[in-house]
Amino acid sequence: MKISWPHMGSLEVVLASVFEELGLEYVPAPPNSERTLELGARYGPEFACFPLKTTLGNFIEAIEAGADTLIMVAGRGPCRFGYYAETQRRILEDAGYEFEMVPLTFHLGKMPLLMRQLRRLKQSASWTSLARAVKIALSKAYLIDRLEQQALHQRYLDRDKGATTSALKECYEMVFQCDGYDRLRRVEREGFELLHSVPKTERQPIKIGIIGEFYLVLEPFFNLQVEEQLGYLGAYVERNIYLTDWLRPSGNKPIAGHHDSESEEAARPYLTHAVGGEGLHSVGNTVLFHRHGFDGVVHLMPFTCMPETIAKSILPMVSQDLGIPVLSLVIDEMTGKAGVATRLEAFVDLAHFRRRAHRQELPLAPQPAF
Amino acid sequence: MKVGIPGGLLYFRYGRLWNSFLNALGAEVVESGETTRSILTSGVSKAENESCLPVKVFYGHVLALKDKVDALFVPRLVSVKKNTHTCPKMLGLPDMAKSAVGEKVDIIAPTIDFHFGLWTNYRAVYSTGRRFTRNPAKIISSGIEAWKEHGSYLEKLTMGVDHKQALEGGSEQRLCEGRELRVGVIGHHYNVYDTFTTMSLLERLGAMGVDVMTADMVPETLRELELKKLPQEIYWSYEQEIAGAILACGRYKLVDGIIFMISFPCGPDSIIRVLCEQEIRSMDTVPMMTLVMDEHTGEGGFLTRIEAFVDMLRRKKDRAEADNRVVVAV
Repeated sequence: MKISWPHMGSLEVVLASVFEELGLEYVPAPPNSERTLELGARYGPEFACFPLKTTLGNFIEAIEAGADTLIMVAGRGPCRFGYYAETQRRILEDAGYEFEMVPLTFHLGKMPLLMRQLRRLKQSASWTSLARAVKIALSKAYLIDRLEQQALHQRYLDRDKGATTSALKECYEMVFQCDGYDRLRRVEREGFELLHSVPKTERQPIKIGIIGEFYLVLEPFFNLQVEEQLGYLGAYVERNIYLTDWLRPSGNKPIAGHHDSESEEAARPYLTHAVGGEGLHSVGNTVLFHRHGFDGVVHLMPFTCMPETIAKSILPMVSQDLGIPVLSLVIDEMTGKAGVATRLEAFVDLAHFRRRAHRQELPLAPQPAF
Repeated sequence: MKVGIPGGLLYFRYGRLWNSFLNALGAEVVESGETTRSILTSGVSKAENESCLPVKVFYGHVLALKDKVDALFVPRLVSVKKNTHTCPKMLGLPDMAKSAVGEKVDIIAPTIDFHFGLWTNYRAVYSTGRRFTRNPAKIISSGIEAWKEHGSYLEKLTMGVDHKQALEGGSEQRLCEGRELRVGVIGHHYNVYDTFTTMSLLERLGAMGVDVMTADMVPETLRELELKKLPQEIYWSYEQEIAGAILACGRYKLVDGIIFMISFPCGPDSIIRVLCEQEIRSMDTVPMMTLVMDEHTGEGGFLTRIEAFVDMLRRKKDRAEADNRVVVAV
């Protein structure tokens, strides 16, 4: 049984280390590329959301690379993500591929089903070794998130463009290679040292927050490296969501899922009810970013994403109310890198001007009424 | 107090309920009526680009009512059945309406959520009633009356009465009159019954001598039976109805052909479409055509496809009958 899963940012390091630890065979899907997108768009339904197509492309490439067991997460809505596994299974079967889909169901009412699916995946390995492997992998995920955050915070200081990014790549490798729970602490120290040792310059940053849909924020290939681009443009970047926000139990989600009462509270004047996915948190975090003195917010959403569409129709009101610029980037298979780069440049320029105007206390141009 | 009910989205399902509830409470109800060209245009210009067509239409209805009323009635239907959700857009609808009209107009938005028990939902309805009257008995009796009206409305739809007639309380105009050809027109209520966005599809099919079967007319037991066979249950309540109706139509040959109405870019429908198309193909009983509508859909292209589909069904039926006749002669 060769296991594979779709890419999503640093998820690969986490899952691969689980299967390494258990000694199971796995085939990482080939890295995201134009071909992934092309395959996904060819087989995927016309106006299904963007991540469905990209992960479908990942699955096809993984099957071509020899995988026969595909992992996907299933849920209970209201976002479409919960039905991905079933839809993709049908599409791939229609296209004539042979595989087995294991839709992991993280829902309290369906624990027996999850246990059955996990037993199927772990094969002969014992439950205790699975628990240990998951525990180590989660710690690794935490570490990776913190390293990524550090990279986001310092990228604008790079003396040599791209130095932080390559240091971060080295960190991923170090974390992946680390095979013991006790050695993780040393890796942590070395990783942070490596990031801190990147040659820096003196520079005043502007602060940009990234909000938006989970997959698109985490997956650098498909968000056209928005984080890196912003860093090179001289922005201190923070994002609203990290991988472990969804992996760990949190708040009212007892198994896994994102629950952030602070941002829900912050969103209340504008959006009062969860709308699935990250919709509510996108609105709430815009408010929080404003409170923390950020100069602007970049909102990433896949085309036709339902929760983010709602967030997008409410964000203009938030932006107008608080006076924080919001740039919504709708991304699909047609999005070109140059167009996004131009808009980001203009956005960062705008943030610079606004900051200068604030400092010299010049009158700001009135916000356009939406 | 003047209360407006925008005539888009779930109005096509609960309009009668809302209207009679508010009327019985003593509110002055203003409805935006049917969708028109100007409503669509103003909705498209105000709504988010990525919204689906019915949401744009809904925005148009909201804007049409904006200056005429003191409050808008836009309930937040989170879940109408245990273990299911409605579409995320319904969850955010009151907030979207608020962002469209600003602070001037009050939004009355009771939250109906069947993840919680009946008591929570009763509280939501009751607190809506308290805005109009302080008399608890009046609120309860209005609720019961409205629910009865709603029941008779749904029953009429089930019996095949035209939506507009059912809304007005009549029952003369039937969609199904026992003509030779029957086509299932399946989709969300707001996709099938909106005469403007569908370009009076149902009437036109009637004029072509075709009986129409909507999702309401497919017996619920058959729908449930089909849904039970799916490997992963569908968690959107209205999509359950649609998928169940399409699969039942295919399995039991309730119709000669199915037209699946989707509006661009409907989220849940894009997923259900894969499921339905695959299942119908594997059943190989009745042909199915998927029609995707948006605000740019032209009447010419739309009609041509309907006519071609109906012609195809008619020819298929004639040929099947001819074959049967030969067998009898032998």
